[in-house]
Amino acid sequence: MMRLFGPDLHVLAGVYALDGIDDDAERSRFEHHLRRCQQCADEVREMSATATRLGFAATQAPPPQMRERVLAAAARTRQLPPVIDHARPAAEPRQRRAHGRSRQARPLPRLAWGVVAASVVVIVVLATVLVRVQSDLNKSRAQQIAITRVIEAPDARAVTQRTSLGGTATVVYSHSRHALILTSAHLPPPPGGKVYELWLLGPPRVRAAGLLPATALGHTSPVIVKGFVPGDQLGMTVEPAGGTNRPTTTPILVMPLRV
Amino acid sequence: MDGLLAKVARGDENAFAVLYDQLAGPVYGLVRRVVRDPAQSEEVAQEVLLEVWRTAARFDPAKGSAATWAMTIAHRRAVDRVRSATAAAEREKRTSVLLPPADDVADAVEASLERERVRRCLDGLTELQRESITLAYYGGYSYREVAELLGITLGTIKTRIRDGLIRLRDCMGVT
Repeated sequence: MMRLFGPDLHVLAGVYALDGIDDDAERSRFEHHLRRCQQCADEVREMSATATRLGFAATQAPPPQMRERVLAAAARTRQLPPVIDHARPAAEPRQRRAHGRSRQARPLPRLAWGVVAASVVVIVVLATVLVRVQSDLNKSRAQQIAITRVIEAPDARAVTQRTSLGGTATVVYSHSRHALILTSAHLPPPPGGKVYELWLLGPPRVRAAGLLPATALGHTSPVIVKGFVPGDQLGMTVEPAGGTNRPTTTPILVMPLRV
Repeated sequence: MDGLLAKVARGDENAFAVLYDQLAGPVYGLVRRVVRDPAQSEEVAQEVLLEVWRTAARFDPAKGSAATWAMTIAHRRAVDRVRSATAAAEREKRTSVLLPPADDVADAVEASLERERVRRCLDGLTELQRESITLAYYGGYSYREVAELLGITLGTIKTRIRDGLIRLRDCMGVT
């Protein structure tokens, strides 16, 4: 009944991308078809990317002990070698990035140079921040540009500090750009109904600097704070939902931003 | 993430630790959604992440992003687990609680913006599209099983899932 080509087969792209074909013969027929139908292959690729978004929306914190187990298992597991396609010159695959991602990924090495003063740990954190920036599809393009401007500023500096509630905050700041970017890792969720609020603690006065977004994967996505001036320190407090005009609790973090 | 995976492919364990921090939540969450049982989910998620380490050099960026590659492995492994014979009995029991998919684990660390956006896009689908996709993806059901559960023909399921995914793709701005 099932024709080898034609609409019957083509319409399987959706269920195929969701691993919804449990009949091996039917799946291999479709995979065979995919190899000759570029349009179908493109469609499956897009649908898999769509499914990935559904997967990310189901994100849950894994059991903490899993990390060590996986990393230890990796350390004693040999990796498979790449598959060599003799038909292609060796250098080609790297240039053959499918989407615009490769172009966005390029700032990483430059970023590392921009913060030579920072420790290796901070650079790793920054790389994570930048990857998160790139992956956060909800961030407006304008905000991404603003963040990149700070990270790439010649005077960009990075500081990581523990908060009094545990977890760390990492700030990349640039005096020349009057802006800083904050991200956090392993910060416990704020107590029920509360939020983390940021402050610029200046000698003349204290200014509210925005709320920390909800935690995802143990990190918060980068927050950009503009308008800081020399002498300001960055503070973070726990405040009622929606935030307040002035800090009402003892800061859990006070970070100097040296010139 | 693609650059990170290239480092992992060259055996960089530090890069793998960073990649782990980015992927463990989505991988575990997805597996948990499909497999349900926490102990089994942990086992599957570990296998998936180790598979990412082991086969990193086989990742082909022409076929999609690193995230999609990893999540595809995760979904496939989760589905393999629930479709294996030993899990069959357990699944019979689960059928009754599967509609609608529950948001369990209150302390889950949420990718809140992403979640919200995906939810909005799912809300833009027809009831049938949404149910079919949810059952197939989060439920780990084959399209035959989805057709049976929803009492509609195989042909209808295939087209509804495809149409629904196309609509989701456009809503999410996937390219």
